[in-house]
Amino acid sequence: MNMAGVIFSNLFDEYFGVLTKNRTVASLPFGGRYRFIDFILSNMSNSNVTNVGIITKYNYNSLMDHLESTSEWDFNRKNGGVFILPPFSTGITTLYHGKLEALFSAIEFLEKLTQEYVVLSDSTVLCNIDYEDALDTHLKSGKDLTVITHRVPSNCSKKYALLIKADDNKNVTDLIVDYPAMEDGELAGMGMYIMERVQLITAIKDAIAKGRHHLEKDFFQKEFNEGKIGVNYYEFRGSVLCNTNISSYYDNNLRLITDEKLKRDLFDARRPIFTKIRDEVPTYYGKGAQPDNCLIADGCRIFGSLYNSVLFREVKIGSGAIVKNSIIMQGSEIGEGCVIENAILDKNVTITPGVKLTGARNAPIIIEKGEIV
Amino acid sequence: MYHKKKECVAMLLAGGQGSRLMVLTEDTAKPAVPFGGKYRIIDFPLSNCVNSGIDTVGILTQYQPLELNDYIGNGGPWGLTSNFGGAHILPPYSKSKNSEWYKGTANAIYQNMSFIERYDPEYILILSGDHVYKMDYSKMLEYHKAKKAECTIAVLDVPIEEASRFGIMNLNKDGSIYEFEEKPKVPKSTKASMGIYIFNWKILKKYLIEDEEDKKSSKDFGKNVIPHLLGDGRKMFAYLFEGYWKDVGTIDSLWQSNMDLLNPDSGLNLEDPTFKIYARNYANPSSFVCKGSLIENSFVAEGCTVNGNIINSIISTGCYIEKGTQIENSVIMPNTRIEEGSLIKYAIVGEEATISNNSKVGDDPEGYSNSDWGIAVVGKGKTVDPDTVVKVKEVI
Repeated sequence: MNMAGVIFSNLFDEYFGVLTKNRTVASLPFGGRYRFIDFILSNMSNSNVTNVGIITKYNYNSLMDHLESTSEWDFNRKNGGVFILPPFSTGITTLYHGKLEALFSAIEFLEKLTQEYVVLSDSTVLCNIDYEDALDTHLKSGKDLTVITHRVPSNCSKKYALLIKADDNKNVTDLIVDYPAMEDGELAGMGMYIMERVQLITAIKDAIAKGRHHLEKDFFQKEFNEGKIGVNYYEFRGSVLCNTNISSYYDNNLRLITDEKLKRDLFDARRPIFTKIRDEVPTYYGKGAQPDNCLIADGCRIFGSLYNSVLFREVKIGSGAIVKNSIIMQGSEIGEGCVIENAILDKNVTITPGVKLTGARNAPIIIEKGEIV
Repeated sequence: MYHKKKECVAMLLAGGQGSRLMVLTEDTAKPAVPFGGKYRIIDFPLSNCVNSGIDTVGILTQYQPLELNDYIGNGGPWGLTSNFGGAHILPPYSKSKNSEWYKGTANAIYQNMSFIERYDPEYILILSGDHVYKMDYSKMLEYHKAKKAECTIAVLDVPIEEASRFGIMNLNKDGSIYEFEEKPKVPKSTKASMGIYIFNWKILKKYLIEDEEDKKSSKDFGKNVIPHLLGDGRKMFAYLFEGYWKDVGTIDSLWQSNMDLLNPDSGLNLEDPTFKIYARNYANPSSFVCKGSLIENSFVAEGCTVNGNIINSIISTGCYIEKGTQIENSVIMPNTRIEEGSLIKYAIVGEEATISNNSKVGDDPEGYSNSDWGIAVVGKGKTVDPDTVVKVKEVI
């Protein structure tokens, strides 16, 4: 396809607290066996976007470990592939502060590409989207920028990074940054943009020279308001999961259990979500196992009761243990007779037998990676 | 072209039809039959090779190879993609003077001598693609070298009452073989051949050429090549393997071997992180277990939706199990659909089969005489209509 991809892996790290202490937001585990980046990369792979740069800032060990040769996502190619773009000091910018600055560290990658268009994507919005269709719309519109949007659900007060207002003929009339949606069904940006590559490169260089770093505010909004760029929007109609903080991250994981439409949309078998293969055995359910409305990955051994929870790979649940409304990440072990409610257990946590942990539904208790409780 | 010399090259005989597996191998080769929820039988010898440090494997295919070829692909899932070596699929091919199918196991290797010669190996490991077992072949090779043997055959100690079902090796005190008897009526020993051979390549090559010239030979390792080496007084040793091994060539043994996964005393344990069994993965999401389902002593692989009661069973990847179903002591192969109210007991349900509403497949052994009872089998891709009964021992 005539479009390459750029993914921001570190943006919004600060909103996920201890969960991103040692990893990028892109490598946050999600939905039993995935990481955020799996959704973004699989979408690109399934849309034949074969050249992808991932912009990193720090903590990208876990990301590189997860991606390895990228062959699981079909990116082990002669022409193209995935390129990890760590920050490099050029004298102008060291560690970046906004997306424009971040893109500056990707400028060499962008300049070498042969594709005419680029799709930019954050890594916190999860969906199953066809970028070929989005590019089609972009080309037909003849505009400089296409903002990929979805209709916001009925929680108006939430702040969105970017809102689009359009008239009945689908012409964009306003582009608003960092503002709460005022009514249901407004068009919110999904942190995904399509632009012509050379135009993007010029804009990045120009912005850096003028000391601007905020992509949406300093570039999109400013130039749109000044009439310098034409803006189009693409309305994505499938299910969308926006992860903006720990609370929404927790809710979105649990939504995978209850929301049938979401499951159908996200795990469309024609457009599979790929992830790292770990070659575990299937999950074993022993005597006393009572799984009830749960999402359970491979390699677990279950002897306890589970309600409304997400279990990642290789989790062990001791007999008599009760786990409710919780997210248990890879390799964690819950001892006999434990009661875990409203909790997020990061990777390789050990809960010794008999321990009770209870968080609140709107403020789940979080146990850091590798801790023993 | 330069080919790096390899100490040992493995040749995996994967051309078997597996006719005793009936509807499960109608359009697929036996090594591609699913096993244990997410594996296929061929994953065992391939993973054993990788875990034994053997990185060059020739896979000889013949019967219905499409699915098997597709499954093996470039050998990536097993890490068999090295620059020198890796997994190679070797089907029979036409030559300038004549073209022929593989006429027997020995002939299959004979026809691929030029593949083996490229790696100039000292030793050649012959494997078959229809056994479930975990084995470190490097230990067998060490034994072969220590004994300065020309051929080493892996053997298993079987109960004497079962010995007449196997090829039996009669041994001297030092472990050398003095006689080989195929399915003896009165067995003299309990050391059964596992169909795993290590040869010094130079020796095997000589015997393969001779065997090919012998018009009366049926070109088979067990029937011709091994007896020929023995007759010539070659140094042949038996290597005793201790561990789980099962020939899954029949419906009963395939079912039993799957059930052995659920029995901690069976010796079949796939959870050892230092000796993993690798398989091709198909990007399935996590499994979803619905409210009110009961799962006991069972394996459930990824990509399933489970809504019924599952006891002592193997549920493979991508199965959809509706509510009100009861599955006991059964093997459900990948991507099957079990509809509402179905009852499945002591059965194997093939890949992509559908069991429609309120059907009954198989039954407990209680209430049947030994000869009347057996595992019920639903073939690959078959549909059992609503309210239908598939009787015990029935194969559809």
